[in-house]
Amino acid sequence: MSKVDVDFGLCESNGVCMGIIPEVFDLDDQDYLHILQDEVTPENEHQIKEAVRQCPRQAIFIRDE
Amino acid sequence: MTKPKVVFDPFSEEFFDDPAAVFRRLREEAPLYYDDEGDYYVLTRHDDVAAAFKDHESFSSARGCDLAMVRSEEGVPQKSIIFMDPPDHRHMRSLLNKAFTPRAVQAQRESIVEVIEKYLGAIKSDEFDLVQDFSGPFPVEVIARMAGVPEEYRQQIRHWIDTSLYREPGHVEQSEEAMQANIDSGIYYYNLVQERRVAPQDDMISRLIAAEIPGEEGQMRRLDDIEITGFAVLLGGAGAETVTKLLGTAAVIFGHHPEQWQMLQDDRDKIPAAVEELLRYEGPVQYNVRYTIKEANLPSGIIPPNKPVFVCGAAGNRDPEAFTDADTFDIDRDRTEAQNLGLGYGIHSCLGAALARMESTIALEYLLDFMPRYEIDWDGLKRVHMQNVAGYSNVPVKVLR
Repeated sequence: MSKVDVDFGLCESNGVCMGIIPEVFDLDDQDYLHILQDEVTPENEHQIKEAVRQCPRQAIFIRDE
Repeated sequence: MTKPKVVFDPFSEEFFDDPAAVFRRLREEAPLYYDDEGDYYVLTRHDDVAAAFKDHESFSSARGCDLAMVRSEEGVPQKSIIFMDPPDHRHMRSLLNKAFTPRAVQAQRESIVEVIEKYLGAIKSDEFDLVQDFSGPFPVEVIARMAGVPEEYRQQIRHWIDTSLYREPGHVEQSEEAMQANIDSGIYYYNLVQERRVAPQDDMISRLIAAEIPGEEGQMRRLDDIEITGFAVLLGGAGAETVTKLLGTAAVIFGHHPEQWQMLQDDRDKIPAAVEELLRYEGPVQYNVRYTIKEANLPSGIIPPNKPVFVCGAAGNRDPEAFTDADTFDIDRDRTEAQNLGLGYGIHSCLGAALARMESTIALEYLLDFMPRYEIDWDGLKRVHMQNVAGYSNVPVKVLR
């Protein structure tokens, strides 16, 4: 199963990912990014991959487990 | 007849006058361009450019990011975040990145509006120079204020930057004047750092003075005066020059496309999309130079170690393989087709991206009111001749009533 993960050393809270799929990525009031659900499913896979690609910091990646 | 072999000379008149035309030929004819004479590579296809920006393990910034610096045996002139690889880069970046998140820069909105109103308010004629009278002076006020530069010195900062980035056509190296401007701004900031050490304020220089980063043996250490000075010089340059160029170019592009200016007029919600399209179509930064520290594998082939490489984001942004009708300016285009490289990509992507977007968006809103219909004095357009940024130093416009 694949899971989405974020390198928090790279993330700078641009929020592009949240714009693409808010069900998975959420920026809180302090500008910290949270992964609301980390499982990559057939339903969200396309959008998560889009978030990976569009992240200006290249901070999001998908891990195969 | 066969065309002469394409040549990339980043300091030629030909390149300064029409970078897009040079990039088009390179993309088509020489995606892995190698310059025999200069011993450097040039990447122009979107695939290659994005891959190089991502692969910081092969494409190092530690030798600097312009050609003269990368070639120099003496190493980089100062320790600056743009001349660093991980982990140093990560430590430096983490000192300031929280100040530039989209949410954090909202705090600058009022001061942006204030300076925009000040400069537009000072224009009393229907004919003015959009760069000299507006997009030149305004962004530097915002970033210099954030850095901690007192008001009376903020415009001086801009003149130093302009001089230091200027390149005579045909010259890779800085002129003596440009070097002097670097030294003068360095001395100015150095003295400012001393003042802030004695009396800290709520500004970035004071924050850098108080900050700590991991040192060589893992123990935490403070930044020294030279490091803080370097950071301040960079912030001024990166935060002023770029938005200045983007807005000057915007006026020119919308001068060519008055129907799209009218579309913005009719629907202001399109402004953020227009800013993205401006960044794609003719963003100010043309390229960043990297240096391969090992063999680099790219979609178009292999680059050997120890070579300077021009990574041309502006060329990738016009790649027809990445964007439909890439050479067409279209504020309504599908922005998800490919990554917009206008603000870079990967670990060195623009720290001030959110600030640049907000300044540009607000400026366009005001310009739509200030010059709802306008024309450009095409004969009066003047391009800058600078290391790695393109744009105009003069954009004379006439408001139509």
